[in-house]
Amino acid sequence: MSPKRKRADDDPESFTPRKFRSHLPHDHDTDEQESAPEVQTPSRRTRTQQLADNNGTPRSILKKTGLHGILKASIGTTPKSNRKLVFETPSKSTTYDNTLNGSPTIVRNADRSARRKSNRKLIERTINGDDSDEEALDEEEILAQQILSDAEDDDKVLDGAQEELAVPDTPSKRGRGRPKGSGTGTGKVGRPRKVRSPTPPQQDLPSHEEYFWQNRPGGAKTSNNTLPSGILLNHDEYFQAMQEYQDRHGPEKELLLELHSRAFDQWIFEFKEGFNICLYGYGSKRAITDAFAAHLYEQLAEHASYKMAKETPPIVVVNGYTSGTSMKDILTTLASVAIPSKYRTPNQLASLLAYVLDYLTENPPPHPIPIILNSIDAHQLRRAPAPSMLAALAAHPHLNLICTVDSPNFPLLWDVGLKAQYKFLFHDATTFAPYDAEIDVVETVNELLGRSGRRIGGRDGVGFVLRSLPENARSLFKLLVEEQLGLLLMGDDYGGFDQDDEPTTPRNKKIVRAKHASTESAQGVEYRVLYLKAVEQFVCSSEVGFRTLLKEFHDHQMVESRKDAMGTERLWIPFRQEELEGLAGDLAGEAF
Amino acid sequence: MEHQRCYIYAPPELAERSPKRQRTSEGNPQKLLRERMQTYREIWSHQEEKIQATLEEADIVTQEKIVKFVSAASQPEHEHSLAIPTGLVVVGPSIASHGPFFERLGRRIKEDTNSANFVLTSGESPNLKTFLKNLIKKATSRVEDDDDDDLRPSTSSKNGPKLLDFDLGHLQEWQNRNRVQNIVVTIQDSEAFDSSLLAEIVDLFYSWLDRLPFVLLFGIATSAESFEERLSGKSLRYLEGQEFDVTQSSETVEKLFSTTVASTDIPLRIGPNLSRRILERQRDHVQNVQDFSDGLKYAYMSHFYANHTSIFLQKGLSFKDVPEDVFDAVRTLPSFRRWIENLLGDRDTQQARKLLESDEFLFTNTVQQVQAGQNILSGLSGACMVLVRLRKSLQMTPHAPISSIWTRAASGDLAGAPLLRETMLLVKKISSDKFLQLLTSMEELDASAFSSSFTVDLDEYRQKLDELVTANDTSAPLRTQHDVRNDSLRTTVVAQKVLLSKHKAALSEHDKAYSELVTRFHDEMENYFVGAITNPNELLFSEILIYDLKSPHTEVFQPKPRFAIERALASPHDYLGCDCCVAGAGEDGQVSFSGTQPPTAILYQMYLESGAIINVSDLWSAFNAILGTQVEDSDTKTMALFQRSLAELRYLGFIKPSKKKTDHIAKTMWKGL
Repeated sequence: MSPKRKRADDDPESFTPRKFRSHLPHDHDTDEQESAPEVQTPSRRTRTQQLADNNGTPRSILKKTGLHGILKASIGTTPKSNRKLVFETPSKSTTYDNTLNGSPTIVRNADRSARRKSNRKLIERTINGDDSDEEALDEEEILAQQILSDAEDDDKVLDGAQEELAVPDTPSKRGRGRPKGSGTGTGKVGRPRKVRSPTPPQQDLPSHEEYFWQNRPGGAKTSNNTLPSGILLNHDEYFQAMQEYQDRHGPEKELLLELHSRAFDQWIFEFKEGFNICLYGYGSKRAITDAFAAHLYEQLAEHASYKMAKETPPIVVVNGYTSGTSMKDILTTLASVAIPSKYRTPNQLASLLAYVLDYLTENPPPHPIPIILNSIDAHQLRRAPAPSMLAALAAHPHLNLICTVDSPNFPLLWDVGLKAQYKFLFHDATTFAPYDAEIDVVETVNELLGRSGRRIGGRDGVGFVLRSLPENARSLFKLLVEEQLGLLLMGDDYGGFDQDDEPTTPRNKKIVRAKHASTESAQGVEYRVLYLKAVEQFVCSSEVGFRTLLKEFHDHQMVESRKDAMGTERLWIPFRQEELEGLAGDLAGEAF
Repeated sequence: MEHQRCYIYAPPELAERSPKRQRTSEGNPQKLLRERMQTYREIWSHQEEKIQATLEEADIVTQEKIVKFVSAASQPEHEHSLAIPTGLVVVGPSIASHGPFFERLGRRIKEDTNSANFVLTSGESPNLKTFLKNLIKKATSRVEDDDDDDLRPSTSSKNGPKLLDFDLGHLQEWQNRNRVQNIVVTIQDSEAFDSSLLAEIVDLFYSWLDRLPFVLLFGIATSAESFEERLSGKSLRYLEGQEFDVTQSSETVEKLFSTTVASTDIPLRIGPNLSRRILERQRDHVQNVQDFSDGLKYAYMSHFYANHTSIFLQKGLSFKDVPEDVFDAVRTLPSFRRWIENLLGDRDTQQARKLLESDEFLFTNTVQQVQAGQNILSGLSGACMVLVRLRKSLQMTPHAPISSIWTRAASGDLAGAPLLRETMLLVKKISSDKFLQLLTSMEELDASAFSSSFTVDLDEYRQKLDELVTANDTSAPLRTQHDVRNDSLRTTVVAQKVLLSKHKAALSEHDKAYSELVTRFHDEMENYFVGAITNPNELLFSEILIYDLKSPHTEVFQPKPRFAIERALASPHDYLGCDCCVAGAGEDGQVSFSGTQPPTAILYQMYLESGAIINVSDLWSAFNAILGTQVEDSDTKTMALFQRSLAELRYLGFIKPSKKKTDHIAKTMWKGL
């Protein structure tokens, strides 16, 4: 409940309801003090009492109503309003208590404008998004404190030194002394929410504004949910699911393909005029290049030189996305069609390229040899010699290159010189076809989510590897699993202890759990610790031996290592707890 | 096949040919494609010749200088010189044109002097060893076998120890056999070389200078000064440099433009919008002469490939060659329709009807009109050239190149433009000495040769001018009455007010006669411009004569791949055109996901809404909420789709793993940026 709303509730009842509200709960809180109110705030209390006495309203409720006895006096006589106030939540009003304590409405107005100002400041800050979240929060706190202390100052001006004297005397924490601290605390909870509510609408921001909006400090508030283990599919499950899946956009995609295929003749014409072609757009473009290859094949087969001879028109197809495709493959394949087999071709890459190009210049083929290159922006073709060599191929008049690109920023791959050599004409060839051959979906997602442990095929894969390793390697792995599990369990225990110690709100619980989730992935077994344990258990005798054993695991990606913030090397098995437990069970049961 | 790295295409063993092929042969939408292509090749080959000629001409002067320099280096007095003759060729910042330039230069050097030329680039020369290896490889043009260095049978094993393959001894041996005058080593991109490597090269070459006649040529993109700064004083002492400036590509493009677009004898022109676009691209992005001609070529290709009526650009076309549908196409042209409407407005229904009904009549008319249109366009180009000449002889500022004047003329902005008016006013004031220059320059241009409407008789003017000049007894040139120097201001004070009044100085007899002459010239020129400068867009059959479509051209040369992908994912309906996923409410800010969209598109749209890091678990719940209902037998299948979409976004580079939190991914691209 915000103070404002409360005020609204009260307004019809009385014209200065705030004072009641703010002070009454205070009274409830300090009921036990009532016996000796004078002790707490001596001077003021007495004054109040005097006033109260004067007004003939000796009710305890009004005893501590501060300076506004006079104003209150008339209202104080109406018991109805008092009763109502009993239902107010005490803690919040105590918060407000301070700011209002002994301040007439002018102060309230001043407070309001100050809050408005601070709100404005905070909104600006959140929009501009400078600095980190913490700083912003700090800022809020400081502001809140400032406002509160300003109010306090007002108090002080009115109360003089007495207030200050009184404060240390308050016996109870919930008394007057506290709200300063707790006020800021509650203000922190309450205020940001108020600030956040008038956030600008996100939807129709221009793209650059959206960038800053989404990158603002503290903007990235995400939940701590994690994917349940086992929900991600493995290869078999994935392929099975995909096989059953029926794309509802089948006909439309067909139509797209058909539309693209209408341009084939145009592309051949562009080829003939010495241009090369580059296809871009969303979706795998293999279907298009395949169809184009077929089309080209038909066209070329009608070429005079193939009418009589048994030869077929050569079309070189390269799948750049396949791992391991290199310039060498491309050049040797090209050489195999361009150069008769009686010539010996050089083995070195650069000279092979030069040789092929020279040969083609001197012995021009009946028609330019087409090269179809799927995914020219594949990683292995981006590295140093490949682009310039491909450009040299593309620039040759007796070679035609049609290639596809998938990444949206591919023009950055080539500088002006290369671009001039490539002589590309770009065509949008959006197909919406899935990148079946280009991407290993399961693998990519696992890598994306840091679950590369699944790479070796999960538990079964580990078992497979372990079975082929010597006994002490198995023991070492078992040791590592146990240690890691121990660490994890210890973490859990710690969490449980935490909860017992201090009954936390559900919110806090979540944080505790999240902390574990994050440490779990960052933590691992310390290298030294593991080594010492291994020596202890006679798994290995020297560090060299230990290293060799570990290397085997590293090679199979069963173990990962990282330096933590302190610089100590930590080892861990990239599995989650459940899987580790399973592994431990397998190892203990001598399943491997 | 899809997982194979490289293979030779083999057609699938199909009994039936695909139906696609039949459609192309039956429907025959490209009936005259062959003929049109023929026309295209004829016309383009002319253009290409011009382009080549222009290019050759552009750097012929520099090339000659360099060749002269190279041959001079081998003169006897240079024989034992103390430094390597070095040419600093300032090629300018357009690195794309460096390659072709040095290629042409190398050819000339080889042809004109008895020298060998080797071009080396920074790419092949990471260090001195590789540099030398490449140089020797190029020189000895051995197909390099890649056996290890020491295994190779050394070329000079009999004369001593084996030579390593980067020993310049190989080159010496080669020189002993070939006896070339000079060994020209061209370093194409000197800026990209490590300065220490350059110094090493210079040192080494210097030490071999007594045995090998080296000449160094450095391609420099910045300036000779900055090149000099990179080398130490010691290295510089070994060099004897001479600087050569190459025509900058912007100038070359200007020349190309005037010969290929703004020239008078070309049948097909590219329109103002397209030429503006090409020129802008040249200026701002590529600065590459080759790219300019490619752009032009593609415009020609597009015109002849897609426009049926372009067949009328063929010379000597006969009625029989033209199929009916071409006439139908002609009748749909907007300019043709305008023509018919005008005819109807003039009550010439007879001709209009005939044009609409008789193909033959239409044919003869079209051919005539196309010819006429070409003449008008030539006249326009001629006028532009005359205007440029005029401005140049009058030394007017700002300097307006032919490209800008022509583009303005072609878009119909030149008639009555301030640019033209200003020029004509200056012509009025011209003095006799300048007028003489002007006439000379106009005679050089020989405008009447290419523009029939240019009727100004320059000879007559020259005669009369000569007479007047010889008759003029003062040394000062003759002036016209409009010349400001013949005006004088007189101030008079009348009733405490200052009055300014202009007075013409009394003109001498000669000046009067001269004024008359200039005025006549001015009037004639003005008439000429008024006649020649028309708006080509209003021309009949401008669709045939001018190609000005930006549509395929822009996309083909300046693609927006990221935009295309983002669009495909953000609004797949644009591409798929299906009924189910119309964006609908998506526009008004309230994005509504329709579960019918392709899964990746759905995921992408969620991605757009999220912040810099994304919780995959939450993403999955949202995805499942939308798609789970669409796919029967939900969870596994939806998960498979989710994984695939996620993997695709990763493949396209939209997301990357994040270490900040578990199961989180980081966003890397913001739409529209």
